[in-house]
Amino acid sequence: MIRKLLFVTKFEELGYDAVKSLLSLREVSLEHVVFMYVIERDKVAFRRGVGYQKSEELRLKESANIRFIDWAERLFEIGMEVGVYIQIGNMAAEVTKAVAREEADLVVIGRSQKSLLEQFYSGSTVTELVRRLSVPVLVYKPVPDNPFAFGKPFQRPLLATDWSPASRRAVDYLIAIKPLVEEVRVVNVVDEERINGDSVMQAQLARKDAKARLEEICSRLQAAGIPARSHVYVGRPAEGVEKAARECQSTMVVLGSSSKNRWVERWIGSVPREIAENSAFPTLLIAPERD
Amino acid sequence: MGKRVLVVDDDPDVRVFNTTVLEENGYSPEEAVNGEEALQAIRAAPPDLVMLDVLMPRQSGIRLYRTLKTDPALKAVKIILLSGIARASFLKSQQALTEFGGQPVPEPEFYLEKPVDAEVLAAAVKKAIG
Repeated sequence: MIRKLLFVTKFEELGYDAVKSLLSLREVSLEHVVFMYVIERDKVAFRRGVGYQKSEELRLKESANIRFIDWAERLFEIGMEVGVYIQIGNMAAEVTKAVAREEADLVVIGRSQKSLLEQFYSGSTVTELVRRLSVPVLVYKPVPDNPFAFGKPFQRPLLATDWSPASRRAVDYLIAIKPLVEEVRVVNVVDEERINGDSVMQAQLARKDAKARLEEICSRLQAAGIPARSHVYVGRPAEGVEKAARECQSTMVVLGSSSKNRWVERWIGSVPREIAENSAFPTLLIAPERD
Repeated sequence: MGKRVLVVDDDPDVRVFNTTVLEENGYSPEEAVNGEEALQAIRAAPPDLVMLDVLMPRQSGIRLYRTLKTDPALKAVKIILLSGIARASFLKSQQALTEFGGQPVPEPEFYLEKPVDAEVLAAAVKKAIG
């Protein structure tokens, strides 16, 4: 199922501890880790009076190579297969090419280091990747942010559903990695707008409706042998999901990615992007089915 | 025409260096950029020597070495491993793969850790295939 993963790092946000905590995926047939470092063009670009910064390119490439050799040695020693890509270019484009070349089953990436302004103009790397790829993208978060996630990030996932097709694919994905999953908590965050009616009845109806649909998902998971419990939260979706993940002591948030187009997302944002960028929890984004 | 040597490395600079050394010493170098491409070339026409990097995309030298050494038709092909990966790690990886149910493979006769001088490289090739 997850035979090969592409681990994309800039080193400052994702280190070997993250690689190590993903090795539990060997239980679901992980055998190959491909490391990738992308040097963004502007770091070595042609500058007036300086020209193309060849020595900077060499320095960045060799620094990355030395780190990857060290990581590769550790993985080779436990019988894993390892590959490396060090490329210059646009992060999302290079990662997309590497995924196709390597036929990777999962992409692991750190939280975006771009400022809000940069994200507005050039888009978030995570958003861009999810739009381009059909394989899941795991936005890994450093351990100090979330002590629960260390070691076995797939152990107690929180599946946040908005009933979208991508959310349904997320259920299938969790069933496929069943040996790693101890328990799934399934949550839907009901928008406050929906319960701002005049009567208590309306609020209760919204909760009952969400609960019934969540129970259907739990039944599917339970039928596959995965214990599951459902929870309904109320509020802003990203905040509700974060609260649920903390209260359930989840090790990861799993959710279907947005199918909004690039410009709509850039202007009004999206819940998956907000969670991927801001949550303390590793976030696994499952793309909608591609045509 | 000199003996045929297949240089397997994803780094173009390393391939240029190795092939230049080989040509200057009277050998006929060929090139492959990863383990998969190399295996196809070796199966099509086994060279006299494979100069093999370890850490590469698609398929590493560790897997290719194992494939070659466990294939009766190819196990006689001489191999020089040439890598930044330490020899000890290479050996441990082969032990681990054998423990997972793989066939035992012999230790490599030639393992050079990068960077390698042209003279050292040429001497190793001469020792391996004359």
